[in-house]
Amino acid sequence: MIEVSNLHKVFPDGTKALQDVSVSIPDGDFVAVIGLSGAGKSTFLRCLNRLVDPTGGTIAVGGRDVAALRGRALQRYRRTVGFIFQQFNLVTRLSVLDNVLSGRLGYHPTWRGMLALYSERDYELAQAAIREVGLAGRDDTRVDQLSGGQQQRVAIARAMTQEPELILADEPMASLDPRLSDVILGLLKHYNETRGVTVLVNIHVIELAKRYARRVIAFNQGRIVFDGPVTELDADLESTIYAGSLEAL
Amino acid sequence: MWVAFALGGVASVLVGLANGSMRRLVIGGGVGLAAAYFAFPLLAADGFVSRDTVSPTLFGLTPIHPALALVLVAALLGIAAAGLPRRIGGSLAALGALTTAGLVWSAQARTPQLVHLQPLPGLMEALTGVAVAGSLTLLGWGSRRLRIPLLVVGIAAGALTFGFLVSPAGHGLFPNADGYYRLALPVDRATQKDIVAEYNANLDTINAQRKRIGLHALPAIASTADLDTQRVPEAAAKRGYRVVRPAESHYGVWVAMLLAGVLLGSGAMLAWRPRLHETGDVAGGILYAAVVLSLAPAFASTEFSFGKLAEGWPFLMKFLDRAWPPLWADPSYGQFGIFPLQEVASQMLITLEIALVGTFLGAIFAVPLSFLAARNLTQGNPLMRLVFALTRGFFNLDRGVDTLILALIFVAAVGLGPFAGVLAMAIHSIADLGKLYSESIENVDRGPIEALEAVGASGSNVVRWSILPQVSPLFLGWTLYRFEINFRVSIVLGLVGAGGIGFFIQDKMSSGRYDQMIIAILAIVIVVNIIDFASSWLRSRLV
Repeated sequence: MIEVSNLHKVFPDGTKALQDVSVSIPDGDFVAVIGLSGAGKSTFLRCLNRLVDPTGGTIAVGGRDVAALRGRALQRYRRTVGFIFQQFNLVTRLSVLDNVLSGRLGYHPTWRGMLALYSERDYELAQAAIREVGLAGRDDTRVDQLSGGQQQRVAIARAMTQEPELILADEPMASLDPRLSDVILGLLKHYNETRGVTVLVNIHVIELAKRYARRVIAFNQGRIVFDGPVTELDADLESTIYAGSLEAL
Repeated sequence: MWVAFALGGVASVLVGLANGSMRRLVIGGGVGLAAAYFAFPLLAADGFVSRDTVSPTLFGLTPIHPALALVLVAALLGIAAAGLPRRIGGSLAALGALTTAGLVWSAQARTPQLVHLQPLPGLMEALTGVAVAGSLTLLGWGSRRLRIPLLVVGIAAGALTFGFLVSPAGHGLFPNADGYYRLALPVDRATQKDIVAEYNANLDTINAQRKRIGLHALPAIASTADLDTQRVPEAAAKRGYRVVRPAESHYGVWVAMLLAGVLLGSGAMLAWRPRLHETGDVAGGILYAAVVLSLAPAFASTEFSFGKLAEGWPFLMKFLDRAWPPLWADPSYGQFGIFPLQEVASQMLITLEIALVGTFLGAIFAVPLSFLAARNLTQGNPLMRLVFALTRGFFNLDRGVDTLILALIFVAAVGLGPFAGVLAMAIHSIADLGKLYSESIENVDRGPIEALEAVGASGSNVVRWSILPQVSPLFLGWTLYRFEINFRVSIVLGLVGAGGIGFFIQDKMSSGRYDQMIIAILAIVIVVNIIDFASSWLRSRLV
């Protein structure tokens, strides 16, 4: 259960990225977060795992107040949240397995991580995740040898290896061929359905949101302008959500 | 002298024919001439001993040749061409240039003349202050935010510099600055007579001394014109009397003539083709003038001379003559024979080993330090920021001290030999590599760092798993690059006694065995090329 209330984020340059955002998401939901570029989708997701520190409001995940976490406690929280980036953010000079294993770093003392002393179970989890995203047999391939779609699948495997309670995906298809969207969203959807893990995906293509998500949260200029089942989305609402798109350009 | 004049004229005409801006050259010539008028030595004025000799500028000579003031007028006309109609400006500049050339020529074609030096106290000090203020102001001029603060700071710093230099403490540290700038004033007939009398009165003592060291006696003189080849009496020289000798001209003559030529050529071209101008001519002209004004004294103080090169030419030929053919080995020499090629091979190996060990040690220490000197890793808390500042400070300090200087110190400390060279090289390489490494760290892709923070990895694991894999090939590349440089440095290290091939070269050079030295030179050329080639090939495969 994620409970966000009165969330605010003002960046040091004065940009009001989030204004009075309150939302509650039950466990196991698949939520699409939609809106224009710059509407605050990304900041919202990044606040949830504290890559961005909110300037006001509370975030409760599974009853814990996440907004106040610091240091070791923050690391312990983050290891339960898989984050998938638009630009994959893999270490391209390392192998697929090394990248996926790094998802386990939060579960071990620092010295073990430094020496790459992962446990047997870590290897099993990593290899299972690699199989699940369809890259079986590519363990030792350097990531820079893979295509963009394959790289994003490695990133998903890394998130899965964390054994997360929550997956946040920030425009995971935006730098890929549009035809790969179904592969990526399909993987996340399957993971959501088989493991019951909550998934939040930022999407700016509304058709994809309609196809995969049960629920949609729409942002415009830092505020939630719609929050409800995907079936309630209609043309009027869409024009509200995408209002001001020409100004934004 | 006329060569410079013609050179300036022809060059500017050619630039004009190639459609370059003539107004820019006119302005540049004017600014340059104005600066040369006040700052560049034109002739020599001798006293009794050689340290009495001063070099008056055009301005300094104006009191005895008042017509020289027209040179300043010509320079100002050139500058005024920025605002005048172009035909008129060009014509005036050309006219001024002709006048200048004539005046400078006549100033250095006159007979020697007795003058009295009048110091202008505080002028040098004031100019230094203005230079400090000006450079600080220019530094901030580009940025709107810094313009006013730096102007204020500049003026304050300039005033402080001036105040310090004119104070007794300043004069104690920079004794030459006091009254550095001197005007040459004419001497009236009565004083001239006194000095002639003084000269003749001292003659007996001087001739007695000259006789002792076997020089012929000097005759008495009748007027100051006879001081042409003689010296001013000691006491008179102390009181500030000098003989201006037009025959001994300084580079100021060349610069003035060159700039006059430029003014003439470009002024005439501008009057003929007024369209030869561009916007931004004033800034461009000042830039040209600045280049000429900084290069001319630099050539003069580095004693650049084609004449000396021509004089030294036979030595170079003789050197090559004696160096070829190389003496590879001579088993019959002396009791045991000599084997220079063998020696070069072993010394070259030592040089290579100095470079290897020096680079290795430098890299070992530079890697950990570079993480402390990377801005993006040290902004967490005030302590880390302090560590960052200290490490960077150490790097900058260390980088400022060249390997060769360190080697001189270490040779004194640990004695002659390769160890001193290795120490010097390692210490200098730490700073150089550390700076390059830390810049690589600062330029890593932020993405993987963020990703590892997002999986809950600790700070050191983020460095280990996201930064290190990204920077390690860069580190290796920089290390190879430094090794290339260090190899060339270690050749020179031998010259200060830190072992290796340089030591061999110095030894053979001083004993005149050029036919052995040439082997070392050939070996260096070959090995340097092999190492550069191998290193760049290796670096191109790291990525």
